[in-house]
Amino acid sequence: MFEKMQRAFWKALTPDLVMDEPKTVVTVVPGLAPEIVAALGGADNLKSQQPVALTRVRVELRDVGRMDRQALNRAGVPGVMLFNDGVVHLLSGLGR
Amino acid sequence: MATPQPLQLHAPLSGVLMPLDLVPDPVFSSRVIGDGLCIDPTSNTLCAPLAGVVSNVQASGHAISITDANGVQVLLHIGLDTVNLAGKGFTRLVEEGEQVDVGQSLIEFDADFVALNARSLLTLMLVVSGEPFTWLVPESGVVDNGQPLLSVDTAGPITDDEKTQDGEALFSKPVTLANPNGLHARPAAVFAQAAKRFAASIYLHKQQESVNAKSLVAIMTLQTAHGDVVQVSAAGPDAEAAIKTLAELLVSGCGEAVTAPVATNEVAAASLSVLRGVCASGGSAFGYVVQIAEHPLDVIELGTTPQAERDHLARGLAEALAALQQLRDNAAGQAQADIFKAHQELLEDPSLLEVAQVLINEGKSAGFAWRAATESTATLFKSLGNALLAERAADLADVGQRVLKRILGVQDRALELPEGAILIAEQLTPSQTAGLDTRKVLGFATVGGGATSHVAILARAAGLPAICGLPAHVLTLANGTQVLLDADKGELHLDPDLAVIEQLHANRERHHKRHQQDLAHASLAACTRDGHHIEVTANVASLVETEQAISLGGEGVGLLRSEFLYLDRHHAPSHDEQASTYSAIARALGPARNLVVRTLDVGGDKPLAYVPMDSETNPFLGMRGIRLCLERPQLLRDQFRAILSSAALARLHIMLPMVTQLSELRLARQLLEEEALALGLTALPKLGIMIEVPAAALMADLFAPEVDFFSIGTNDLTQYTLAMDRDHPRLASQADSFHPSVLRLIANTVKAAHAHGKWVGVCGALASETLATPLLLGLGVDELSVSVPLIPAVKAAVREVNLTDCQAIAQQVLGLESAEQVREALRLYHAATVDTSLVLEN
Repeated sequence: MFEKMQRAFWKALTPDLVMDEPKTVVTVVPGLAPEIVAALGGADNLKSQQPVALTRVRVELRDVGRMDRQALNRAGVPGVMLFNDGVVHLLSGLGR
Repeated sequence: MATPQPLQLHAPLSGVLMPLDLVPDPVFSSRVIGDGLCIDPTSNTLCAPLAGVVSNVQASGHAISITDANGVQVLLHIGLDTVNLAGKGFTRLVEEGEQVDVGQSLIEFDADFVALNARSLLTLMLVVSGEPFTWLVPESGVVDNGQPLLSVDTAGPITDDEKTQDGEALFSKPVTLANPNGLHARPAAVFAQAAKRFAASIYLHKQQESVNAKSLVAIMTLQTAHGDVVQVSAAGPDAEAAIKTLAELLVSGCGEAVTAPVATNEVAAASLSVLRGVCASGGSAFGYVVQIAEHPLDVIELGTTPQAERDHLARGLAEALAALQQLRDNAAGQAQADIFKAHQELLEDPSLLEVAQVLINEGKSAGFAWRAATESTATLFKSLGNALLAERAADLADVGQRVLKRILGVQDRALELPEGAILIAEQLTPSQTAGLDTRKVLGFATVGGGATSHVAILARAAGLPAICGLPAHVLTLANGTQVLLDADKGELHLDPDLAVIEQLHANRERHHKRHQQDLAHASLAACTRDGHHIEVTANVASLVETEQAISLGGEGVGLLRSEFLYLDRHHAPSHDEQASTYSAIARALGPARNLVVRTLDVGGDKPLAYVPMDSETNPFLGMRGIRLCLERPQLLRDQFRAILSSAALARLHIMLPMVTQLSELRLARQLLEEEALALGLTALPKLGIMIEVPAAALMADLFAPEVDFFSIGTNDLTQYTLAMDRDHPRLASQADSFHPSVLRLIANTVKAAHAHGKWVGVCGALASETLATPLLLGLGVDELSVSVPLIPAVKAAVREVNLTDCQAIAQQVLGLESAEQVREALRLYHAATVDTSLVLEN
């Protein structure tokens, strides 16, 4: 209860603090954290990437074999769904 | 009386669990349909979570329900808004009525296709029959297809004798419901929510009937009314506490203000002569009370066959849609036509229909299912604690009633009005006001609603005075009572004095004359007597308004609210759509006039369907305006690109809302420059910021070198400076932009801007108030962006003052104590200078 209140106060008093994080993301790789890109086999293994369906990032990989599922889990992607032609859905949740 | 077998529900898919509360669709997150879980799937075949009969499978194949031998019904729903796919991407493997085993494949879907074409793949498994359940696994993380997830307590009986086996059931004392409409959706939701906090199985009883007290829909099926006697029973470990809490809750009205008979007498006895509310549309009128009440409709709960009821509902919907189209075509003005268009869209909302379909499949009648669906969704809108959505609830109730009448075959009678009517209602709906003969109506007075409600919009469009937020006592006034509606002061006089009425008549005459005069001079420039030109521009949200503004003498657009392109739709507007809208407005203005486009200003208080946002405890202090856009830079980039396509057509300005930090301005500028570069533009449009956060006003000297202009949003600046919600029923009158603190921030902003050679506009409501005109001029404001109909009046107000006088009065009021003192000083100034000089001239 106390924690919840504290969080609400913090949010109310410093709404702009929330801003800082996305800025760095914007300049590095739009949409994908560096550790995720690494787990997908690096930027050169990435043909395309697109946020879809609120909770997913749809990527096309040149070589699905270079994807490291465990590393994806560690990078905060709990679910992965594979399709034909190197298409992969990364289930990243709503907090994108 | 068999011992209850715990029923296990198995995972219908592999995937990642998401808490139901977070599902970005209120129909599911609110548990209106039922409690359960949500999986973001990683497998593409939906399997039966329990053995039973397929009680319903949607033709479009995205949803299916299964009922087991004990009556436990589970709804599986693949994706959000997938009903729009009309079956594409789904393959049904079973038929209605078929017996299925646990784990049997039910529906196959093309997950990549659905992900690319629907809003979401999030899949719901809900226990729609309302039995409580416990989790067999952690409530988050990864699950595998077929894994047992929930244990359902099948001793969730509907009849009394089955219940006793769940331990000794305790009963509360009988409670007589004091709620005026019984446990309708709102109090029912409060009650169900409270019941859910207890582990005990809890039932609500009315005469022979009893229902699961944890289910909103179930409580609503009891159809309780004012004065009904109900009882709560509970069985389980915390039964005693549950009974005590819930019985007290029922007595207290479940969050609804219950009118104990004593209280009503008191109000009636205290022969009030003035009732106070909030001004929703200015002006005054003397007329006769006409009470407008909506009579409750009788709805039979049980339906014939689901097919027949479905047809019935479809017919009702089609008729209502046609009637709305007719109202749209015959609407008196654009505002009204837009409202009915919004109503048509509500009727086409797939989630609303789905809720109704689920209830029909459970055996309810079309009317009952439709009413439950609209009422529960309206409750939801209201409970989200945001004024804009709460007013959508009124729309939903209105359109819901329209369809319900069609289903029940109830004819709407046109209201016969006497001359000089002052309409009084709990809440006037757009449908009620649509058929009104406005020539006979002199004004509106309502208990509900606010400054942004429909009645306010319609009253302003029709130029009629209106007051909202009056005490409920107003509903007891007899038809034909003479009353004086003084909307400017927010007062309804029940026993008006003849002298007061005459004075108001005289005032109205003078206003009318003045208005005609202002209109005649609208095209003249707004120059003060001593020759200083002030640019008077318009606040607009469409091409139509822009054209009106120009014809009323507007010298440009000082604020184009771009939100209209984004609100009330399921997908972001395409580049072409955005670009053509901006270009059309820019073309209407031409290369000699300013066009100031404000970038998307939304947030928790104005949510967008396709931009998922966490609900916030305090949206006004949350992710709004530029904060949201910088978090989703693609949205901002797309908008910049679309705005830039109109660069050559008018004097283009781009304005960023809610800027607090210099870094926000710099980052947005960088994005703008990148987009301009990509389009090959050499000249950037002017870039400015809204001054609406006190931080920006206080640091205007640091912002000024990096902007081309400022525009002061006085509405937000006032509520942030005074820490008062401008829609707050009791604080609204104090949240006054004339407060010296707000004026000092404006003075500070102007000083900083002029020191760097930048111009300052005011686009908040203060700019549209002619009382403030000399003050704003005196503070050094260069541009006034005002609401379209007020352009002639504000221009006229500029023409009748001397800038040097204005500067003197502005300096004087900055030192005053309160908004009242400032208003009084300005009134005196006006009386002393302007009025006398007009007299001398005429």
